[in-house]
Amino acid sequence: MGADVSDLSLVRRVQRGDKGAFDALVLKYQHKLVKLVMRYVRNPAEAEDIAQEAFIKAYRALPQFRGDSAFYTWLYRIAINTAKNAVVSRDRSPIEYNIDRNNEESYEMQGRMKDSETPEGLVLTDEIRSTVNAAIEALPEDLRTAIVLRELEGLSYEEIAAAMDCPVGTVRSRIFRAREAIDRRLREVFEGGLGRTEELG
Amino acid sequence: MNEELDSQLSAMFDDELAQAECELLARRLSRDVELRARWGRYAMIAAAIRAEHGVRLHARVAERVSAQVVSESALGAAVSARPPRWWRPVAGAAVAAGVAAVSILWLRGQAPLADAGVQPPLAAVGHARAADSAAPVTAALPAPAPARSDSYVVPPAARGALAVVPPTELANYVVAHSLFTAPVARGTLLSAFMTSESATTGTAVVSQDGPEDLPRDAPGHAR
Repeated sequence: MGADVSDLSLVRRVQRGDKGAFDALVLKYQHKLVKLVMRYVRNPAEAEDIAQEAFIKAYRALPQFRGDSAFYTWLYRIAINTAKNAVVSRDRSPIEYNIDRNNEESYEMQGRMKDSETPEGLVLTDEIRSTVNAAIEALPEDLRTAIVLRELEGLSYEEIAAAMDCPVGTVRSRIFRAREAIDRRLREVFEGGLGRTEELG
Repeated sequence: MNEELDSQLSAMFDDELAQAECELLARRLSRDVELRARWGRYAMIAAAIRAEHGVRLHARVAERVSAQVVSESALGAAVSARPPRWWRPVAGAAVAAGVAAVSILWLRGQAPLADAGVQPPLAAVGHARAADSAAPVTAALPAPAPARSDSYVVPPAARGALAVVPPTELANYVVAHSLFTAPVARGTLLSAFMTSESATTGTAVVSQDGPEDLPRDAPGHAR
């Protein structure tokens, strides 16, 4: 397991002409890619445009992808090159790193000041985030620990099993149940009219 | 929704699913819109937990990419149509060799015509001037002939082609040579020449027909 197996199975399907498999890859990596691109451009909307361009480039280049490296490594490389080219072509300098990253509040505020997003958009993102955080807080301790170790620390199931002193199968089950609980809350919020459900798919 | 399927989806999202199961689920994921929506929400939850500041959790990147990808041609067709990577240099070399071979053949085919055009046989020149049209005469005498030389030595290139030796030049040579020979030898030489002329039909035809076809005042007419 691991070693990019799930990505590779989707990639092989895309290479056979399955566009739905590429949709799944984009859904999985869109946030990470936007986050990566935001190291080069400040505006989230612009970062999303560049991420979109990077995904399209990746889609066109997928026939040449042989799986020598992990898919996400390959994808990140494309995104970085796309972002650098965008910065050069638009004559903009990369983001300044004199921001105090340890001070999350000031860092986030600075990002928002430069964000061209509408207030409604900011509210939507905040609402999603607060819903997820509330759902995590409501989780039983073992589920919360498992999902946080996985998503925040990036540990593998085996590493989490060792840390929590339980079988790998239990870790898998705990993470799945944690996700289901959070997803349920999220769907309730969206179905309640906060956002449009199609935006999630 | 099947709980086992959702559990597998969660494990696949974390890249913790066996390859065989991944293959099956990837197939279903690419076809099942609802399953894919759930997959997308798993990614949104992960981004929310990581508190990726500045990243819009409701970003419509996937939606826009999907719309753009729909307009692209299917990759499967491109993959099947594309030859293997190792084949490219071989194909390139084959094309280069083919071009070279065609060029050589073309040049070899062009050479006699070029020679004929540059150095037409004297008889042909005579015909051409008489008829005021060089092309048909040249075509009627395809073999290359040496240019007129002041000496009477036949150029090496013409030695193997008896049929193309200009009869007028050969006759001039024999007559001129006979002026410096003894009468007996002169007669022998002239008789030998006439004998060889009649024996060599090609040469005889040219030498006999040539003067008759040409008008008397033509420059190429043998005197």
